[in-house]
This record gives sequence, C-alpha cells and structure tokens, in this order.
Amino acid sequence: MRIKLISIFVDDQEKALKFYTDVLGFRKEKDFPAGGARWITVVSPEGPGDLELVLEPNGHPAASAYQSALMKDGIPATAFESSAIHSEVQRLKDKGVVFTMEPTVAGPVTLAIFSDTCGNLIQMYQPKSAP
Amino acid sequence: MKSPAWRNRRTFLRLCRARDLLSDLRSSNVSIAEAAREASLSSFHFIRRFEAAFGETPHQFRTRERLTAAQRLLARGRSVTDVCLDVGFSSLGSFSTLFARRVGISPAEYQRSLRRSVYVPDWTPHPPTCLLLMGGPDAIAIFEKTVRRR
Repeated sequence: MRIKLISIFVDDQEKALKFYTDVLGFRKEKDFPAGGARWITVVSPEGPGDLELVLEPNGHPAASAYQSALMKDGIPATAFESSAIHSEVQRLKDKGVVFTMEPTVAGPVTLAIFSDTCGNLIQMYQPKSAP
Repeated sequence: MKSPAWRNRRTFLRLCRARDLLSDLRSSNVSIAEAAREASLSSFHFIRRFEAAFGETPHQFRTRERLTAAQRLLARGRSVTDVCLDVGFSSLGSFSTLFARRVGISPAEYQRSLRRSVYVPDWTPHPPTCLLLMGGPDAIAIFEKTVRRR
C-alpha cells in the first residue's frame, strides 16, 4: 500500500486549475467530467511524478464549512516543500500571490503561508537540510 | 504585478469575515460597500485585495456562491422561482441566464436531470471518490449507468 493521491477542496475547479498550473507551476495530469463536476489532478514537475493532487470540489456543505473554518483560524490545508523558499516566495509574489506569513524560521524549517485563491491557506516549507 | 505587503494577517482575517458576509444568504442585501466596511477598507482597496486573496472580485464570488446554493436547493426539490428569490436574485431571467452559463443547463433542466435518478442528495452529486481513484472515466461511466438503472 502506498500514498498515490492527496486531495484538497477548492471552491471553483476551473479557478483552481488555473492557479495550481499557471501560478504555482504544477502540471495538469488528469481532467475529465465526473458527475456534475470534474476529476482534476495536478503533479509537481519537481516530483514525485506519480503523486497526484486532486482538486476536489467543495460542493458538500461540510466541505466549504471546513475550508472556511481552517482559513479563518489561519490553518493551512496542506503543505508543499521547497528547496529554495525565498526565491519561490518572490516568484509567487511577482505573480500576485497573497502571503499571510512571510518566510519565517521555525526550528528545523523555514515556512511561509499563502492563499491559493480557492478557499485555502497553503504552507510552503524548506527544511534546514533542503533536498 | 507585485502583491501588496501582507505582513499583517489581520487584514486577511478581515477579508475572510467580509467573504463570509457575502456568502451568507441571509444577508443577501449587503452591498459591496458594506462588506468593504466589514474589512475596514475602502471599496476600491477591498475589491483589489479581495481579488488578490480569493482569485475573483467580491461580486463574482457572491454570484458563484448564490448559484452553488441554488444547485443545492434545486436538488432538494424547491421550485425554480423560490430558489431564485431564496438565493438573492430579484429577476428570474438573470438568475436563469447566469445559472445556465455556469452549469450548462437551465435551472429547470438541472432539476429534471436530478429527478431522473432515485437518490437525490443534499448537495451537487458526484460519483464516490473511491470509484474515481480506482477506475477513472470508465468507472464513472459504469457508476452513472448503474444510478440511472435504479
């Protein structure tokens, strides 16, 4: 058994696909109709290539309530690792991304938090011994 | 475009509060200016910062939220006219046009499409995730065929 998919709720799948590909730089892996929504996954070009992030619609009322509560309390929905957090943050800021936490050293990692424009805060972190 | 300096999380929190206000159907008469006041920003800065944080203008956000709520209410069997008023539209024509633009079919057609299946859940239905994980598009086709057969 292995982890192959992780998912994140998004308030608008089209907007999410645009943000996660055009802004973050992930690559669209799958995109096909699924009931009233779409099954959309993206992968990071930096790998691992077979780990897909599902952009899951928050159509269920509990999903949007969950997203909203986390965001208001400043809790990131997930975290992505970077090997060069400062330049990555600058690259995203240049694209208009809103950061709620600037790169901050927190023990063994440096972390920053940004809004993915789809109802989530995302944490980016770089371990001290970056890969 | 350079993003503004968002060193203070309080601004983001205020935007979240305004966003909640705009998504609350009970406060459908709230104007953008009132939502801006909730965020302690001028309307101009509110619209700019809201769009930067959430990827759409406050007006676009509210319209999308209303249409999502409309889908839920239609799934529960409420009439198109009632749904139109419930979610804060005053014109049935503009509601139907916006709904069709977003969903691809009119509100009435959407409701009919849900009635064709026996199981009408409380939210916009989509196939169980486990099916998608295992089988992709083929699994979805089988799922939808099974639901129609019930």
